[in-house]
Amino acid sequence: MSTQYVTFRIADALYGLEVLRIEETLGHHPRTPVPLAPQGIAGLVNLRGQVVMTVDLRPRLGLEQLAGDAESMMIVVETHGESVSLLVDEVGEVLTLEADAFETPPDTLDPRVRELITGAFKLESGLLLTLDVDRALAAV
Amino acid sequence: MDEIVREFLIESNENLDQLDQDLVALESEPGSRELLSSVFRTIHTIKGTSGFLALTRLESVAHVGENLLVELRDGKREMEKRTADVLLMMVDTIRALLVRLEESGNEEGIDIEATVSAIQATLDNEPLPEEPVQAPQAVLDSPEPATPVVTSTPADNAAPADIDVPEPPVEAALPALEIFETEPVAPAPQAPAAQPVKKSVASANAAPAQNAPERRSTSDSSIRVDVDLLDELMRQVGELVLVRNQISQLAGYDSGDLLRSSQRLSLIASELQEGVMKTRMQPIEHIWSKMPRVVRDLASACKRDVRLEMVGGDTELDRSLLESVKDPLTHLVRNAIDHGIESPDDRVAMGKPRVGVLTLRAYHASGQVMVEVIDDGAGIDPARVAAKAVERGLKTPEQLDQMTPNEIQNLVFLAGFSTAAAVTNVSGRGVGMDVVRSNIESIGGAVEVESAVGRGTTWRLRIPLTLAIMPALTVQSGNEIYAIPQVNLQELVALDTEKTKSAIELIGSAEVYRLRGSLLPLVRLSTVLGKPHNDEGTAVIAVLQADNQRFGLVVDRVMNNEEIVVKPLATALKTIGIYAGATLMGDGAVALILDIQAITRRSLNSDGTDLMGTRLGEEESSFGENTTEYLVVSIGEERRVAIPLEAVTRLEQIKPERLETVAGREVLQYRDSIVPVIRLGRYLGVYSDMPGEDIQLVIFTHGNRTVAVLVEEIIEILNDAGATRSEVAEGGLLGSMVLSGRVTELLDLPAALMTADPVFYEDVASFDSELVGA
Repeated sequence: MSTQYVTFRIADALYGLEVLRIEETLGHHPRTPVPLAPQGIAGLVNLRGQVVMTVDLRPRLGLEQLAGDAESMMIVVETHGESVSLLVDEVGEVLTLEADAFETPPDTLDPRVRELITGAFKLESGLLLTLDVDRALAAV
Repeated sequence: MDEIVREFLIESNENLDQLDQDLVALESEPGSRELLSSVFRTIHTIKGTSGFLALTRLESVAHVGENLLVELRDGKREMEKRTADVLLMMVDTIRALLVRLEESGNEEGIDIEATVSAIQATLDNEPLPEEPVQAPQAVLDSPEPATPVVTSTPADNAAPADIDVPEPPVEAALPALEIFETEPVAPAPQAPAAQPVKKSVASANAAPAQNAPERRSTSDSSIRVDVDLLDELMRQVGELVLVRNQISQLAGYDSGDLLRSSQRLSLIASELQEGVMKTRMQPIEHIWSKMPRVVRDLASACKRDVRLEMVGGDTELDRSLLESVKDPLTHLVRNAIDHGIESPDDRVAMGKPRVGVLTLRAYHASGQVMVEVIDDGAGIDPARVAAKAVERGLKTPEQLDQMTPNEIQNLVFLAGFSTAAAVTNVSGRGVGMDVVRSNIESIGGAVEVESAVGRGTTWRLRIPLTLAIMPALTVQSGNEIYAIPQVNLQELVALDTEKTKSAIELIGSAEVYRLRGSLLPLVRLSTVLGKPHNDEGTAVIAVLQADNQRFGLVVDRVMNNEEIVVKPLATALKTIGIYAGATLMGDGAVALILDIQAITRRSLNSDGTDLMGTRLGEEESSFGENTTEYLVVSIGEERRVAIPLEAVTRLEQIKPERLETVAGREVLQYRDSIVPVIRLGRYLGVYSDMPGEDIQLVIFTHGNRTVAVLVEEIIEILNDAGATRSEVAEGGLLGSMVLSGRVTELLDLPAALMTADPVFYEDVASFDSELVGA
């Protein structure tokens, strides 16, 4: 059985998200900061007239949060009936991956990161971590 | 019109159309059981419902028609032309009756005899009469002049539509055509377009009387539309308004075609917005319909004679708002009967009619819907309200002095206020008016009261037309733009660079501004947002009101007034609790809309900026333990005196004429008692009299003893951390110290207070209760 994944990079790691979960991928949009918002919320963007919240997963991944004006690409997903935009460094490609290349997350993974990762595909170039997007966004 | 009658009309009209088709089909297919039973069912339903609604004429026509149908159904009669003719005649008569009912609420003026006898003749197999009367014409020949709306009869409320929707004569449209001939849209099509959302009643009457086939009934002119579709339309119109705003901004730099096109777009967008908003509107009648019963029950429970009048029940409100208005309105009606309208005997004694009149009035004004609850009762006595406000500790006599009678009447909206001498089971528990106010404010509305003693009271609710688009003021704080709903905004005060520092004064940790003599608590938007605040440059105070509290929100800059479209926030951001939503600016940037009510609750009740409240003393005592907070005042001759802040009860600003002299000593009437006044300057050996129009007083209270200390000016509040002290005590001073670089004398407060009131410190027993209950 095979599934299609969109790959993207945050810092040095390569992540994957099921294609069907993704509404669109976009280039940089200026963000309006939301004072007092929980950590990880990177502000609001105007997507063709809709106000969409952006989420920076870096704090959840143990990384420094992006600066408010840092350029970033976006992947828009729908979770709990709302559109949410993930900030990523770079959107990669669409890969069709076979289930037999999939493994549960390696034990060496940072426990905080492990919560968000359902597993990893062994690619020739390295590991592709599959993101549990609902969990990642629910915890924001 | 009663909901049930309206539904009956819609349903019957739909069925009658089917009936026409069925009867005609039945003629060519006389044996069809299916068609026969469909026809029979329809007529039977109309007969049953009209009997239930006491529509006797309709019932008798349907009844005799049903008899004929029974014979057809039972096979005793063949469907031939004569039978079909009388049955169609019956359908026409029923339709005429329904139209009449829809227009006037009754079924008078329609001749049913011809139809009934024609059907009966058919039943009895009598020969045809010479000229069958065309019954439906009756209604069209006798349009009744509409009566103005005065009473609660629903049909009458609908009636004015009859007057104001005449079909524009073609001749009249022609001159307009010449004037506007360059316009892309000719006026002729506009005439019908102007009425697209008029109630069906209007459309039915708009048809010229001669033109019988053009009649439109409820079912023809109204369709059922999914509410989701309307919401979606509303959303898209919101988008259009945003684009309109963007284009207007771009066109602002242009002077040619773009500007003209953008103005045209602006106009069309506004009209479209209005039209779409109207599709979501429902007449306020929907919530008024329960009032007659409420009034009747309550009037008899309170032993009042009350006549209820409802005016403008067809005034329409967004359906989502209608529900929120219901409870406040019911409360006001209950209150008007219980507290407003006097008992019949009292009324007669005062020369008023026995029966009190309670009027509900709704109308549109300045882009809002006004709903008024008017009674001709006793009115609200400002003196009683003032006394109650002082008794409850809600206001001081000083504050009341500066208020107009109407402002005092509006104090009834304060939480914990009730003037009912006795608590009744109807109202008067001290909850209510403040709840009415907060409910109405939560939907972006406002409530106010006007009252003349002995003549009556008018409660007025101002309700926005919709929640989706609202007028707002955009302001800047830091680098970001925020929107403040206009409904909360009272005025703007600009502070320039030099003024900023001196105009904002400190009391405790709280910043205040003197706005025309009264102290306005200030809240910095940057503080609310958890940002460092910008001391440099200009600032603007937006004077806001919410939850019956007034405060100044300090922002860096005011941008613009604009219509903004409210976009919902993601759940994670709603929980922050200070944003009401987001919107898009003309340049496409996202701006957050501030929830002023939430900010009020957050900032004012927890920070102790409620200067006039009794909390001041309590709050200050929780400050640092090793340092003492001092109120620094000036007493003339450039001398500064520090008073331990902990002892201060409150600060007052009064007019000089309020000082009175008793036995050579100055006193002040303050909170129902006579309070000695000590001039701190004189006490400490300053003899130059102080200039200035208003007198600054520092009030000290201990138990039930109060002393007012008159000072030249209240300068600031400082703590003595690291202050250099000199303990040279003399003449009422404990010594001196250096506070913010200046030598400040430290007052021996007990000595000063005992000079004014030798027994000031003796009444200790009631101290605690006074602090809490004052």
